[in-house]
Amino acid sequence: MSSKFQYDLVALVIFALVVAFGVPAVMNYDGFELNTFARYLALAIVSMALSLSWGTAGLLNLGQAATFGMGSYAMAMHLKLRASDGLPDFMAWNNVETLPWVWVPFESLTFTLLAGLLVPAFIGGLIAIFMFRARIAGVFVAIITLAFLVAFQLLFINQQGHTGGQNGLTGLAQMSLFGWIVDPYSMGFYNLVAGCLVVALAFGVYLTHSKFGLILRAIREDADRARFFGYNVANYQTLVFCISAALAGWAGMLYTLVLEFASPTYMSVSFSLAIVIWCAVGGRESVIAAAFGAIVVNMLEGRLSDVFVEGWHLILGVIFVLVVMFMPRGIYGLLSESLQKLRGIGRPRDHRDAETFPNT
Amino acid sequence: MEQLQVTDLQVEFGGLRAVDGLSFSVQEGEILCLLGPNGAGKSTTLDLICGKTQPTAGSIQLNGVEISQMLEFRRARLGIGRKFQVPSVYKNLTVDENLSVARSRRPGMWSALTRLSLTDARESAAILDRVHLGAKRAELAGNLSHGETQWLEIAMLIAQDSKLILMDEPTAGMTIQETERTAKIFRSLSDSHTLIVVEHDMSFVRTVADRIIVMNRGAMLAEGSIEEIEANEDVKTAYLGH
Ligand SMILES: Nc1ncnc2c1ncn2[C@@H]1O[C@H](COP(=O)(O)OP(=O)(O)OP(=O)(O)O)[C@@H](O)[C@H]1O
Ligand SMILES: [Mg+2]
Repeated sequence: MSSKFQYDLVALVIFALVVAFGVPAVMNYDGFELNTFARYLALAIVSMALSLSWGTAGLLNLGQAATFGMGSYAMAMHLKLRASDGLPDFMAWNNVETLPWVWVPFESLTFTLLAGLLVPAFIGGLIAIFMFRARIAGVFVAIITLAFLVAFQLLFINQQGHTGGQNGLTGLAQMSLFGWIVDPYSMGFYNLVAGCLVVALAFGVYLTHSKFGLILRAIREDADRARFFGYNVANYQTLVFCISAALAGWAGMLYTLVLEFASPTYMSVSFSLAIVIWCAVGGRESVIAAAFGAIVVNMLEGRLSDVFVEGWHLILGVIFVLVVMFMPRGIYGLLSESLQKLRGIGRPRDHRDAETFPNT
Repeated sequence: MEQLQVTDLQVEFGGLRAVDGLSFSVQEGEILCLLGPNGAGKSTTLDLICGKTQPTAGSIQLNGVEISQMLEFRRARLGIGRKFQVPSVYKNLTVDENLSVARSRRPGMWSALTRLSLTDARESAAILDRVHLGAKRAELAGNLSHGETQWLEIAMLIAQDSKLILMDEPTAGMTIQETERTAKIFRSLSDSHTLIVVEHDMSFVRTVADRIIVMNRGAMLAEGSIEEIEANEDVKTAYLGH
């Protein structure tokens, strides 16, 4: 086991303890505050998912919000069906008379949970295969995924009778998990979300320290060199895209549970860019740092957007520019560099310092 | 047995024929040295064999299998390894990590998902001692000197353990002692590997080569043992008059 792996495991345990015990204590176990924090934790999952594809493999996926949205709508469809007597109300308003076939299987929670993971993975995988077989890389990955996101959101809003359109899906029931009615303002629900995040992070830490993660880093630096060692680069890139999309879908499902509605704004460009910012602020090389970045920026937003209602997006933009300019590896890079200086190794700086966006 | 058979190979770069009607074969366990003046097409020939460049005509057969249209990674899996003229290691990865990437007996994703990143490096640790990088295992490859980088890439090719290894100027930038050590390693490699080596250092070539091919303007100029090559008049004019 490498020392970096050990550091990450220690960091993961500390993170888990703080989130599971520290945060609720500080919040005085207040239901409203816990719900707010559970929202940050759900967003932390989508941020760590991006760090897998962007930080590890160098694939900047700007369509992350689309896969997040798929998960969130999967859950919302299930809860909407549970809340309605047969046909959801908005369908009747849109002259849809029978339940569309895509909706039918969402009666089942098991199907919903699987769909929330697998549909994003499948669609992410389709786009990935098309891109990576053609050896598309660098900024073109960002452009293609962004274009997909825009098209997907438009399509979704246009299908008002099936998706609730601009209004999204509201008036949802509460989820019933093995007979447990999930109240989003309860400690139990907070623990559920926190548990999901910790499991996702443990998975991410393992993945980045596995040979799979190593090959992804190698591909990120020089994909051709990896090919000459016999690695099927396109397959590796496609799989990490699928994994990242599935995690984003998972985060989306939790997000719907937290907020008790699903909205097409979850699939917006600005939401996708926000994910990139969280990930960059925390540090895209580490899944834990990316999760941390999501929590910190969202806490800041929670505090500051009350004060600067109009100016918040400007502030977020400025934060991003500053991070890119002065700490391209995010909080994680800052910490690991200071740690190295403290240990007096005196190594020259990491070569990836200068490069924030993939350049090939 | 013939391991590699190249027939009438040709590649054109916008009118320039970098390799032009080249034919040769390599026997299993042989060390073939490829010589020639700058721009003769030596590196391009290696590029064609490993799949970096697609030929415009001709055939390349590895153990009787036509590989000239295969993707790079498939050729690597069939047993072709390549060291590049410009040392090509992962500068952002440590020496150990580089070795782990290179050790690609099981290049599939399932095996990669079920192994830790350094497991493969541990298994091939002895290779680093052989190239005197044992003390630098945790160092980022980007911090190595030029000579050490050459060593690292050679170590990576040993770890990759391909049947046919293509070495492009492996001793460039090395001291005399280092070059001698490389020659020893190459000789011991040839017990179980076939090597095609592009080199300019004649004393190195003299030590390692079983056979030599001299290229000029993309075609074969001469072929034979070191003595035959050194006595060849065409070779002398090509080197003096290019
Ligand atoms: N990708 C390419 N595009 C255009 N021309 C190329 C390309 N690769 C090689 N060439 C040209 O092909 C010719 C042969 O180049 P090559 O690199 O094979 O020579 P070499 O024998 O390896 O020489 P050196 O000893 O300098 O390494 C040169 O004229 C070179 O400019
Ligand atoms: Mg060359």
